[in-house]
This record gives sequence, structure tokens and C-alpha cells, in this order.
Amino acid sequence: MDPILVTQGLNLVFAVAVLAVLALGLAVVFGLLGVLNLAHGEFIMVGAYCAWATTAAGLPYVAAIPLAIAVCGGLGLTVERWLIRPLYRRPFDTLVATWGLSLLLRKAAEAAFGLSFRNVAMPLPGTVRVLGTDYPGYRLLLIAISAAIVGGLMLWYRRSRTGLRIRAMVGNPDLAQAVGIRATRLAAGTFAAGTCLAGLGGVMIAPLVPLQPLMGLDFVLRSFFALVIGGLGSAVGLFAGSAVIGGVDSLVSALLDATWGYFAVLVVAILFLWRRPGGLFAR
Amino acid sequence: MSMGNLTPTRRRLLAGGAAAFGAAPAILSGIARAADKDFKIGIFLPLSGPAALFGPTGRACAELAADEINKAGGILGRQVRLLPTDGGTAPAEAAKSAVRLMLEEKVDMLLGSHDSAVRGAIATTVKGKVPYVYTPVYEGGECSPNIYCLGETPDQQGGPAIGWLATERKARTYYLIGNDYGWPRKTNERARRLIADQGGSVIAEEYLPLGAPNKFEEAVTRIKAARPDVVLITLVGADNVNFNRTFAGFGLDRDIARFAFLLEENTLAGIGADASRELYACMGYFADLDWPTNRQFKAAYAAKFGDKAPALSTIGVDSFTGIKFARALVEKAKGTDARACMAASEGLRFDTVTAPAIMRGRHVDKTMFLARCQGTKFEVIKTFGFVPSGTACGA
Repeated sequence: MDPILVTQGLNLVFAVAVLAVLALGLAVVFGLLGVLNLAHGEFIMVGAYCAWATTAAGLPYVAAIPLAIAVCGGLGLTVERWLIRPLYRRPFDTLVATWGLSLLLRKAAEAAFGLSFRNVAMPLPGTVRVLGTDYPGYRLLLIAISAAIVGGLMLWYRRSRTGLRIRAMVGNPDLAQAVGIRATRLAAGTFAAGTCLAGLGGVMIAPLVPLQPLMGLDFVLRSFFALVIGGLGSAVGLFAGSAVIGGVDSLVSALLDATWGYFAVLVVAILFLWRRPGGLFAR
Repeated sequence: MSMGNLTPTRRRLLAGGAAAFGAAPAILSGIARAADKDFKIGIFLPLSGPAALFGPTGRACAELAADEINKAGGILGRQVRLLPTDGGTAPAEAAKSAVRLMLEEKVDMLLGSHDSAVRGAIATTVKGKVPYVYTPVYEGGECSPNIYCLGETPDQQGGPAIGWLATERKARTYYLIGNDYGWPRKTNERARRLIADQGGSVIAEEYLPLGAPNKFEEAVTRIKAARPDVVLITLVGADNVNFNRTFAGFGLDRDIARFAFLLEENTLAGIGADASRELYACMGYFADLDWPTNRQFKAAYAAKFGDKAPALSTIGVDSFTGIKFARALVEKAKGTDARACMAASEGLRFDTVTAPAIMRGRHVDKTMFLARCQGTKFEVIKTFGFVPSGTACGA
């Protein structure tokens, strides 16, 4: 097969996989708690800075994973307790509150690190020969890790006891509370899980993208579109939405150029919001 | 004119009766001048927006230049006072600020380091009434009256670089990639001619939206298929970082050289050492330039602002040069009269942070440095003296 065609094909798979993992945290928090976390991109940014701090301190790259979980988890729990909890079931208020939070996190990062760019050295440099073409090894690794994270989490949600409790809480919070499920703690944990996933996404993409306080904005938009198209809050929907947004963007960018790719994404998103607001897999 | 300035005058007018009417403008301007002996320079810097990073450096550099001038007696015996204003806003906002600076603050001069859209808005507002010094890298071609452009033009960057790549690297084929707005398109228009002059050819030219969350895997794959000798980059900021990291990630840096038109210390810090192989830039200033004048400048900068001084780069240091140029111009013209300034500017020789420069056609023949990236440092490989700007405005 034509190596350029293969490369563009892999680019498409990469776009879909990375978008799915970046949108995962947003999907968990929205699907289960009904909170649209507009600061999702900023948690990705915090995760990316964790990767930077780890490598700047001379530690191995994987050390960024526990650091990002600790920082984003801690932040997530704090934010849930003092900002989100009083606002459950007030979707518009949580929207405004998390938007404010995103400004705060961005400015905090600016105060701590300045506006200047930083870079995280590629932990897995070089290219690998696949299907007759050279493709960056780290991107191939990310495709595999993204699939594992998304698949693993879905399986856990379906099979584990905690997953069962969460489903009970989502289905009927009062009844869940009555049968002894501590819904408050479960909700806090779910929110923190969402922010941790964002942080992990940040660690994963840190070596690929420009690292600076404003970077989160780039990711929240595509993640949000993926959820809109997939249908808010279902596992299949998340994958379908990422496939449509990431796929359309990558395909049109490869066939025409990036301007048309971005245009196509916006058109698809608008069409869905207009004609099919529930998404492909409405709950 | 603000109401604050008018009120006492109106009272005086009423007291003096109708007879005072004829003398009112004279009284008014007399008051304004007497109250304000400072030489006021309104300086537009990116204090907000995507280029806000450069604001603090520009401000610090301008303050340093003003300090040095004031210690040496000021401009025409008047102390220089800077009025920093946000140039990182929408053009219409900047135009409003220009009106305020002229009518309320009565600035003697304007200086700006910002994008061309803002320059256009300020230029049409000011209409040459006060000298306006425009300092950053830009696409060339600005010839409105009483505007003086000091920044690097495509000819000054591309001329030396494309010539060097053709002779030293035997580069023949070029791939052009940039953000979709005025500066990249005009720069590439000029670059195409420079490439043709060297007997080279352009394989493809592509643009990505400015301000969109761009990713570069697809474009880089296209470049991989096209196999050019050189990629000419007119992407800016985060997109420039993103493209170069993706490019190196795909291993294309092994065979293809890259020349970027807007590559300074901050962008290179984002690109990183693992993605900067065979990456070139050609600028009028690099912070690490080992020149006596630059060592002196950096010592003075460090002495004034200490360890917390904002990082230096060509965007920022341009404001220092701008203030120094302003003094040279006004001293030679013996005032800020538009015609006198325009006449005085022709052939005006003035000092910069590197070598002295000469103004011709309200643009500058200046020293350019072609550099290859070594990790996250610029290593100058060739210096070009008095490179013409390619734009010469008539009187």
C-alpha cells in the first residue's frame, strides 16, 4: 500500500484515539453527574505541567503519572467540595462556575510559570516501521494506551461493584442513598476521577503540543463536540463522537487542508446540535 | 479634547465675554504646553491577547532606552515620558486609544510593536499628525506618511537565508506553510520571488487558520510525500511550536531543512532541543549575540531590572531601538513636524542594540543574523551588514 496513505490512515486513528482519551474525563463528569466541566481543558494543562515538572526535575517520564493523579485528583476533590457540590442539578450554574474555574486555573498557571512556552522532551523518540511507513513510535504508543484506558474504564464501570454503585447513584440518587450508598462521596470520587483522566491526558500529550497556560482551550472544544455528537454520557457515544470529530477533521485535513478540516468539524457539530441534539447514542 | 481640559477654559471664556473667543485656541494650547514639558511617547505594546508575553519585555526595553536618553538630557531638552497602551486588542480599540493619546495626553509621538491590523487602524486614525514609529518584524510595504518602520522585512530575512540555503545547502525545492492572514501570505509572496531569483521552485503553499486549535500530522505527512529541500515556515506562536515538534516527531528533520520567519527565543524554547535540528532563523537580534553593543545593553538591562527581568528577544528589544530612533529623528528634525521628520528620516543613521542602521524610504537598512538552532540556542552562522528592506517609500 502507498506509505503516504498508510501514514494518513494512522494519523486518523491517532486523532480519534487521543480525542477519545481527552474527552473521557469530560464524558464521565457530564454523563454521570450532569456537570459540564468547562475547566476540563485546564486540568489537561495542569497534567501537562506535571509532565514538565517531572522531566525538569530529572525524574523518569512515568513519574508524571502519579504526580498528575495526585495534583489533578486533589484539585478535583477540592473543587467538587467547594464549588460543584452546592450546584448539583443546576446545570447552568455549574457551567458558569466551571468557566470561572477555568479562568482561575489559567491565571494561576500564568502566575506560577509565566506565559512563555516550555517543552517536554519526547520520552520515546524516533520512528517505527509499520505497514511500510515510518511512524512516530510515541504516537503509536499513545494509540495503544488510549484504547486501553477507554476500554479498561468502560469494562470496570460495567463489571465492578463501584461501577454498580455509581450506576445506582446515577439512576436514582435518593434510592441509592436509602440502600446505603454514600452518594455524596461517590459523586466526589466520580468528579475527581474525571479530573484525573484529564490530567493523564495532559501527561500523554505534553511532549507533542505547545506547553503554556492557554493550551487547555485547544482541547475542550473538540472534546465537547465529540460528546455532542456521540450523545452525552454513554461509552459507545464517546467512541462514536470521537470517531466522527477526530475522523472528519483528520480526513478532510488530509484530503484538502486544515482550514477545511476545521470547517468540516464545525459544520458537523452545528448540524448535530440542530438536527440531533441528543447525539448518535442518546441515553 | 476631553471635558476635563475644556472646563476651566469655558469658565474663562464666559468671564471674558465674546471678545475672548478669537484667542481661545491659543490660550488652550498655551495651557496644555505649559503644563506639560515632558516629551510624551504613546507606546502600543501587546499587554493582552495572544502576544501578551512580549509586552513586559517591550515595556522594560523602552523604559531602559528612555532612562538612558533622560540621563543624557532628554529629547530637545525635554524629559521623555512613556505612556504604555495596549496594542494587543482589536484594531478598533487600539484606534480609540490612539485618539485618546493624541487629544487627551497630547503625545508628541507614537511607537508601536503589534500586528499589522492594529497598525492599519492606528495609521488611518493618526493620519500622519504625529510621527509613528512601528518597530516589529512585519511584511513590508507600509508607506503612509510620517510612519517609520524599523522591523525586519521578508527581504531582510528571506534574502540572506534563501541565498545561503541555495549556495551552502544546494536547496532547490521549497514547501511553504503558514497561518492564514496577511503577514504570512505577503511574506510568502516575497519569498517566492527570492526563491525564483535563486533558481529554486515552490512545490506547495499551504495555510492553517489563525487562532484555531490546529494539529499538524496531516500537513507534515503531505510534506513527507512532497520531499522538499526546505520548508519555509510563517506559522506563529503555538502553531509554530506545534508544527516543528510534529515535524521532528515524524523524523523529517533528518533530511529537510526548515527556515522560520518568526522564530525567537520563546518559540524556540517551546520547540525544544529534540525538535530543533536543521532549523534556521534570520533576525535583526538574538539575545545571545556576542557583540560588544549587546553585552553592554544586556548589562544595563540586568542592572535596571535584576534577575526578574523579562526574557529578551527581537520582539521586545525592538522597542529599545524604537525609542533610540525617535530621539535621533526628532533631534535631527528639530521637532515633530511631519514634513521635517520625513525629510530628516532619509539617510538618518542611528544606533541599535547591534550595529548602527540607516533609514532609507522610512525603512531601515540593517544588520541581519542568520542562525542555526543548537538545542534551544541560536548559533549565528553568518552576519549580513546593511541589508536593504525592499520597501522604499517616497517623500
